[in-house]
Amino acid sequence: MTRTIRIGSGGIGAGDRVEPGVTLANSGFVDYMGYDCLAERTLALAQVRKVADPSAGYDERLPKILQLMAGFIGSGGRIAGNFGAANVDAAGSVTADQLRSLGLGGTRIGLIHGDDVLDAVKAADCELPERGCRISDVSDRLISAHAYIGAGPVAACFDDGAQFVIGGRIADPSVWVGAICHALGWPLDDWDRVATATLVGHLLEGGIGRRPGADVSLPLGYPLATVTEDGAVEISKLPGTGGPLNVPMAKLSLAHEIHDPTRYLTPDVVADVAGVWFEQRGDDRVRVHGATGSAPTDTYRVLVGLDLGWKVVGEVSFGGPGCVERARRQADEMRKLLANYADVVDETRYDIHGVDALFEDAYQGGYPADCRLRVASRVLTRDAADEIADVYWRLYGQGGGGVTRMIDRNIGVTPALLPRNAVDIEHEVISA
Amino acid sequence: MKLWEVADFSCGDKADVANLSAFPKDEAHWEAFKRELTADKVKAKFGSLVKGTVTRYEYTASKGLNFVCTGALDGGVSISLRVDPHGKSYGDLFGDIDIDI
Repeated sequence: MTRTIRIGSGGIGAGDRVEPGVTLANSGFVDYMGYDCLAERTLALAQVRKVADPSAGYDERLPKILQLMAGFIGSGGRIAGNFGAANVDAAGSVTADQLRSLGLGGTRIGLIHGDDVLDAVKAADCELPERGCRISDVSDRLISAHAYIGAGPVAACFDDGAQFVIGGRIADPSVWVGAICHALGWPLDDWDRVATATLVGHLLEGGIGRRPGADVSLPLGYPLATVTEDGAVEISKLPGTGGPLNVPMAKLSLAHEIHDPTRYLTPDVVADVAGVWFEQRGDDRVRVHGATGSAPTDTYRVLVGLDLGWKVVGEVSFGGPGCVERARRQADEMRKLLANYADVVDETRYDIHGVDALFEDAYQGGYPADCRLRVASRVLTRDAADEIADVYWRLYGQGGGGVTRMIDRNIGVTPALLPRNAVDIEHEVISA
Repeated sequence: MKLWEVADFSCGDKADVANLSAFPKDEAHWEAFKRELTADKVKAKFGSLVKGTVTRYEYTASKGLNFVCTGALDGGVSISLRVDPHGKSYGDLFGDIDIDI
């Protein structure tokens, strides 16, 4: 009999809503669920939480997801995700505790380690091309470095009997690739198969119905894929959920955040998706064809988290005739004031936005009835942030109102490349 | 004609790189898309927003164009001072490009 996997998308980014995935898991239409829980900044922020509290730094939705997925897990469903963020061990321990309290003691949990490569990027003194410097130039600002790791350890955890697999910075599509290759017995060096699985993961992690102009009805459904051993792929979604799943939508999902389509680089493969094409096979069912692959590059992409100080943002509104001109005069005023702080301010930008926030329907003078000046500065220290926020009180100057001021940490992430042989990935399977 | 009238289009971000993709709603427009929608045109449309380069790639079978813009996000989502640091709204400006079909 031809082996088949039915796998769903449970989440497509940091802090995503849990409900669509739960609905999908509990539908009986899928055997596996994949979760991508991380956006680019998520790991650096998680690392900051972990430094403040060694038991934190994982995806805080985890206990809730486990609770809502208890039925799926109890009936043998399998789940993989990068829930661990910066703290896979803490995520594993929370997962074990929660599974036991749900009466699912004994469930096997896979844990994946090795994506934290802070020491390795320091040792290699990696180049940071977007910042035009090397690691050693920003050593006092380093927060984190995480390599995008591949599907191998995910598949290995499932091979070793895990039902719930937790990693840190597993690359978005690799979460699904690991499950698919495990379930279908696809070797991880069969590049065309791995490219096909990567395309499936890519389409699932992009979700559906989130594109401009989409005629989206609610509740939005998350997609699922049916993949057979011979490489046939169909993407679909649950009946009765919203978000059209058609060829135009699939094309946009295909192109989502891929750069050169002949070289879609993941830790698992260099996938060529330029020749991918789709075929509508019924309502909300699309067949997927045409991915090919070759061996991955010999480097891992790494995101390096940097403490770049603070952002200070202030706003003020002006209304009625001449509001835009007064906002511009206020911006000029702020430029003059902030010129005195050039030694602590890296950069300031000025924007004016707004339409009808002040007067409801009382003003009949046409658009804009008001506008809002936004001033945003980047500074290096908290003291400087406080000082600049004080200057922002002067936003009250040209008769404007509703001044707000906000100070935020400026945690940046920037890419780097690290040789594969500098990264040791390990997995283990524990019992809840 | 505006691009939004004749294309399905989208945008995304990776670090300081934005990508913009467009697929003709009617595949008969594919040749016109390739002729009209050049990297230079996209670069000109985005003006000072894109400080780096714009490179065009093709989805040959699905008939679509992808534009990769470097230095496009004021340093990237985490660093940018812009109102929309992801550049999620870039699709709106992209869709405003004039295209002669």
